[in-house]
Amino acid sequence: MARTLIRRVGYGLIAVLGVAVLAFVLEFVVPGDPARAIAPRAGSAEVLRNIRLQLHLNQPLAVQFADYFWGLLHGNLGTSYVQRQPVATLIGQRLAATGWLALAGVAAEVVIGGALGVAATMFRRVRVAVGAVNLVLLSLPQFVVGLALLLVFGFQLHAAPVTGGAGAAQIVLPALTLGLVGAPWYAQIVADQMQDSLASPYVRTAVAKGLSNRYILRRHVLRNVLSPAITMVGMDLGAYLSGVVTVEVVFGWPGIGLLAVNSLQNLDRPVIMGTVIVGAVAVVAFNLLADVVRMQVDPRTRQELT
Amino acid sequence: MTAALDARELRVGYGAAPAVRDASLRVEPGQVVALIGETGSGKSSLALATARLLPAAAEVSGRISISGQDVTALVAAEFRRRRAALIGYIAQDAMAALNPVMPVGRQVGELFRAHRGLGRSAAARQATEALARMRIPRPGDVARLFPHQLSGGMRQRVMIAMAMALSPPLLIADEPTTALDVSTQAEILSLVSELRTGSGSGILWITHDMGVVAELADYVAVMYAGRIVEQGPVTAIFDQPAHPYTEGLLRTRADLRTGAAGTPLFQVAGSPPAPGAEPAGCAFAPRCPRASTVCTATAPDLALVGDAQQAACHHPAAAAGTAGAAS
Repeated sequence: MARTLIRRVGYGLIAVLGVAVLAFVLEFVVPGDPARAIAPRAGSAEVLRNIRLQLHLNQPLAVQFADYFWGLLHGNLGTSYVQRQPVATLIGQRLAATGWLALAGVAAEVVIGGALGVAATMFRRVRVAVGAVNLVLLSLPQFVVGLALLLVFGFQLHAAPVTGGAGAAQIVLPALTLGLVGAPWYAQIVADQMQDSLASPYVRTAVAKGLSNRYILRRHVLRNVLSPAITMVGMDLGAYLSGVVTVEVVFGWPGIGLLAVNSLQNLDRPVIMGTVIVGAVAVVAFNLLADVVRMQVDPRTRQELT
Repeated sequence: MTAALDARELRVGYGAAPAVRDASLRVEPGQVVALIGETGSGKSSLALATARLLPAAAEVSGRISISGQDVTALVAAEFRRRRAALIGYIAQDAMAALNPVMPVGRQVGELFRAHRGLGRSAAARQATEALARMRIPRPGDVARLFPHQLSGGMRQRVMIAMAMALSPPLLIADEPTTALDVSTQAEILSLVSELRTGSGSGILWITHDMGVVAELADYVAVMYAGRIVEQGPVTAIFDQPAHPYTEGLLRTRADLRTGAAGTPLFQVAGSPPAPGAEPAGCAFAPRCPRASTVCTATAPDLALVGDAQQAACHHPAAAAGTAGAAS
């Protein structure tokens, strides 16, 4: 088990490094000159040249590449071209906000999706209704759901703040947006797994043992539903931590997504790289974490991984 | 003596097509009754109906008494509370029939917790004892393992331990050795014959393996197209099968044992009718070498053909000579 973990962490580091290299090269392929983005609108050729000198933009790609990854190896993510602050500081300030939103969003997904899935399985009458709700939610983009929630609960009912920021009151609507958009996936997986489980020979055995329906549901069915849902939670947490761009923009949530968008607009290369690397690390880490948790829940996966 | 199982005029239907038609069956305490027939003959439906384990969509009628208790009269909640003490069910594929994410000891222990009101540790002790009775070595360690960590034979022993945990008067075994290799199968068979002598439980054993029947059963019931077409003591059935279908089943086995290499194996020509498409008259008539006009016109009922042997055939083998002379 320990050896498996070490190997998985090793693979994860290679993946993160690969993503970083790819992102770095892509930055240079994309047309655009960071110096122009930074310089004042009427900046002279002199100013532009000074900026390039200062940011080492006049160096060949290979040198810049070596510089960046040498720094990265020492834990240095570089300094923002625009804000003149270490990238690590910029990301650090926003990581907590994105982290909270990711957690709250995944919690909302699991609760809403789980409830829909269980309802669709247990109550034949609502099955069609749940299917319709799923389809509607699946076809709505995040910004539509977000704006609709903002309109209704923010502007009409005044039940939620519309000013942006990362407070406890502000988190409700963005988390709900993530929850509503993500819920159909969980509803589907929960309903599928539950139906499989309910029709399985081991549930028939449990029935033959004279156990109560509620007990069978709790002890025999739900444990078997958990495993794939855990994998999905891990994937979502990783993805959301790399920035939920749309939701952060719609709600003015000061997270990594917003930082990433701004840095892309400014061609602020170190910040772009920083957000990409943090995102990659988050994806790798949470997938690994999900697998570890799954091993605790489902003993069969312990052998799969070794 | 009260029968372990007394099923009368059992009918099972899924929508239009009946899977079991008016089957009556008795299992005495300590007796092993083998229920044999091809896939789709209704033997599993009959067994599951007896254990009330069919899906809700199945329509079941008839009367089922277990150890004198009319279980068809029990309401669902009452039946649930008592079923594990009345019927032990042993599934075919123990790997699928055990919960993959729960240690096997807990799965056995659940029975004692739910029905004997025992606490966690007392139930665990009882579960370990139940496993030990199945001659599982180091039962305390095995109890902590998950199904996928056990061998096929061990899994089936766990299954039997659960079925017998509350010493029910009736065990229903749905082809429990089909998925096992030959030596493991032999171990399970010897375990079961030992256990039934000790417990006095009656066993309804579903199989299509004549070797298992010969080894274990006291009594045989043969099913074809949803009906019991012949039943009787195992020696009578093996020595003098009256129904041509039983004869065919036994010949397939005899050929396997004695047939010289190169000679084709005997098989019953044709295939059983699809559910809902049974012919008028005897369902076996289209495949039967002895079929006559009466066979295609009226379905035969079970009738005595020997001391304790019954067959549903217009031309049973024992009377074949006389029937031939008369026509």
